[in-house]
Amino acid sequence: MEPNNDVALDIIITNVVAVFRTRCHLNLRTIAREGSNVIYKPEVGKVLMKLRKPRITASIWSSGKIICTGATSEEEAKLGARRLARCLQKLGFKVKFTDYKVVNVLAVCTMPFQIQLIEFTKNNRPIASYEPELHPAASYRIKNLKATVQIFSTGSITVTGPNVQFVATAVEQIYPLLFECKMAAR
Amino acid sequence: MSSRVCKTCGCADIDIDQARGNAVCMGCGSVLEDNIIVSEVTFVENSGGGSSAVGQFVSSDGTGKTPVLGSGFHTSIGKESRTQTLQNGECLISLSLMKTFRKRHINNLGHQLQLNQHCLDTAFNFFKMAVSKHLTRGRKMAHVIAACLYLVCRTEGTPHMLLDLSDLLQVNVYVLGRTFLLLARELCINAPAIDPCLYIPRFAHMLEFGDKNHEVSMTALRLLQRMKRDWMHTGRRPSGLCGAALLVAARMHEFRRTVKEVIGVVKVCEATLRKRLTEFEDTPTSQLTIDEFMKVDLEQECDPPSFTAGQRKLRLQQLEQELAKKIDEVQGEICSYQDEIEMELENSRPKLKGIYASYTKEDTQDDTLSVASGFPGNEDGEDEELVAAAKHLNKDFCRELLSEQDEADSGAESGAESEQPTTSRQPPLASLLGPLPTAASLGLSDSIRQCIAEKEDEENSEHGELDLNGIDDEEIERYILNEKEVKIKTDLWMKQNADYLKEQKEKEERIAKEKELGIYKEQKPKRPPKKREPIRASTAGEAIEKMLEQKKISSKINYDVLRDLNKKGCSPSHQSEEAVTSPTSKRLASRRKRNIAALGLGNQVSNMGKRLKPLISGPTIKKPAGDQGVTSTVPTPTPEVSQPVVVESGPVVYEDVPDEEDDEDEEPCVSAMQLMGGNDYGCDVDDDEGI
Repeated sequence: MEPNNDVALDIIITNVVAVFRTRCHLNLRTIAREGSNVIYKPEVGKVLMKLRKPRITASIWSSGKIICTGATSEEEAKLGARRLARCLQKLGFKVKFTDYKVVNVLAVCTMPFQIQLIEFTKNNRPIASYEPELHPAASYRIKNLKATVQIFSTGSITVTGPNVQFVATAVEQIYPLLFECKMAAR
Repeated sequence: MSSRVCKTCGCADIDIDQARGNAVCMGCGSVLEDNIIVSEVTFVENSGGGSSAVGQFVSSDGTGKTPVLGSGFHTSIGKESRTQTLQNGECLISLSLMKTFRKRHINNLGHQLQLNQHCLDTAFNFFKMAVSKHLTRGRKMAHVIAACLYLVCRTEGTPHMLLDLSDLLQVNVYVLGRTFLLLARELCINAPAIDPCLYIPRFAHMLEFGDKNHEVSMTALRLLQRMKRDWMHTGRRPSGLCGAALLVAARMHEFRRTVKEVIGVVKVCEATLRKRLTEFEDTPTSQLTIDEFMKVDLEQECDPPSFTAGQRKLRLQQLEQELAKKIDEVQGEICSYQDEIEMELENSRPKLKGIYASYTKEDTQDDTLSVASGFPGNEDGEDEELVAAAKHLNKDFCRELLSEQDEADSGAESGAESEQPTTSRQPPLASLLGPLPTAASLGLSDSIRQCIAEKEDEENSEHGELDLNGIDDEEIERYILNEKEVKIKTDLWMKQNADYLKEQKEKEERIAKEKELGIYKEQKPKRPPKKREPIRASTAGEAIEKMLEQKKISSKINYDVLRDLNKKGCSPSHQSEEAVTSPTSKRLASRRKRNIAALGLGNQVSNMGKRLKPLISGPTIKKPAGDQGVTSTVPTPTPEVSQPVVVESGPVVYEDVPDEEDDEDEEPCVSAMQLMGGNDYGCDVDDDEGI
């Protein structure tokens, strides 16, 4: 990450969500019986499988669609997804690893200053919205990046976006706006 | 347009008949227009003889119901409306209906919130805009309406909270909030931020301060402004701040308002209120006395509470770090002492020969240095203890390695050997520091391999083959249970979910049966209908009570009186209540309403009804059953006598009754007396109503 104004901001990626398809029907009961670390939810119709090494949780549907959550980086997500597919392969299903896509990335960042939310919302009227009755953070949606930034008055922000690159760009974009409305220096 | 030139023959001679509303071409005779709109007012005679104007009312807002276009469809009115009606016909109708319907809703809600007409009109305008942007599709009408109203409240600055609206609608606040945010965004309406000062007069009024209302409000306002300056209000619910301010203001003016009362008005929880109060306590303003506060405004601004909290954390961290450093130093001293002791011990052991001896001494020194320099880099996440332990263990390892090397051949170069010990030390160091770093290093290598092999991955993904790079098969085998484990797990699961499985089986069986019979329908999940057990009661009174419990029919009925009705009928002459009244009571229970009204012949029916009206609505019967024994007059003259008396004193008119009276004339003429089980009934009532 490039330093902004000679201050290096640590963007910590806390969650990466990815999906992929196995292109084959999966028998959830078999997976539930023969897998360890699985939770079978028959009411919803899915199996939750948790892997230890890249610490991820996967929701497996019988149609073959799998959602992987909990990874801390894109590479980890892919590794975890492939591990999972391998595991299913070993259980006896003819698994194919197709349509892998990172769907959502959640990152957390802390500003070295506090933010005046009301002023921030006023300056960025339609894009930013702040409803203290509902949520203590102001939310700022960047349309072209399809990213949402939630800004708290303490200076910490959470960014969600379709991939890590966009998330980084979003932080870069929003930093100057936040700098304008800072409250007190730490 | 079309009246100028005929389409079929091109003739310009067109005859327009206003009476018939026709436009006919004189050349070819084709009818060009039918049902021409006339601006005359015509009158039509009603059956009653009066005349009324012909036409429909069209509301000024909205399109109203589109007029039904009959045969003159294709030539009338004009192209625009035709396309409109063709394309949006249904849409328009539904929209107009919706609007008229929803306007009522908006007005209802608005009146409940006590909004003035201007606000309601604005809300309706917002609603129309929302409809035109198709924002109402897929959303509950109630939500959209509430969102429009709240938008108006915000723009006007009325002290209405989203919580109030959600209270009225019994909807989750956050759901409403979502709709509201969407609406504000789509309509590009910037709702100004809520100022907690707006809520103060409203809450103050609800807390009932009486005469001092204004003063308390002013004090609370001052407090709020102070809070704002001290940055307590960013990111917080405005109602919470108001609550805290009002509580303090009330106490300042010697009003005892408990926390619970304030919470009930302000709608936040106790914990929040206490937290706000504590935060306020931390500000320097809280140290002022009441008088000082009213006069003086402290210049200095406070830091926000989250900031102070953050500062505290930082300070704690710094303290911890300093402590850690001190521990380090102490440990370092201990280490040096231990080293000295060990050195002594080594010296007492047989010494190494030649070159190696000097290397061991140098290396141990280098070791400590390198370790010490290496560690600060890693220290951020690791325990001090672990580090210290690692140091010691490391030395043990090194000594072991060195002793092994002594046994090895001495042919190697000194440089190589000096490198070897250091390199051989590093892996144990790494392993000592915990399994995590090693896993990370492996993972990294995996990812590096993946990055290099990315091209391969892409090709594979097209084919759908699984790229097995970097996947440890053995590890994955661990994820799969062996047969025994599978059995155990299956049994456990079956036991746990036995109920669910039963249900599923039954469902399937049911479906299968129905399919065979051909009755199978796709059943949507229905709410189970409320089953009512048949009422079993021994006395009329009990029966009435039970039925009343189940069916709450009307709030205008005095149920006590109803219950006493039967008791009165029973007690006077017939003491064997159950025997006589039970058949009648059952009939009573089943045909309660009818019996009240209907009872026999015309006059009697109306009399009973009228007699019962005051009974039903008024207070309990005053004279007890004792009087009934005294009076044993003949019933027939009494109805006529009682009539004028009853009518005068009848307070509430039970409107259903006359209708039922009319209906129930057809019933078999069993007199009320017989049903109620006593001729004396009429007189009892008369006595009471004679009062």
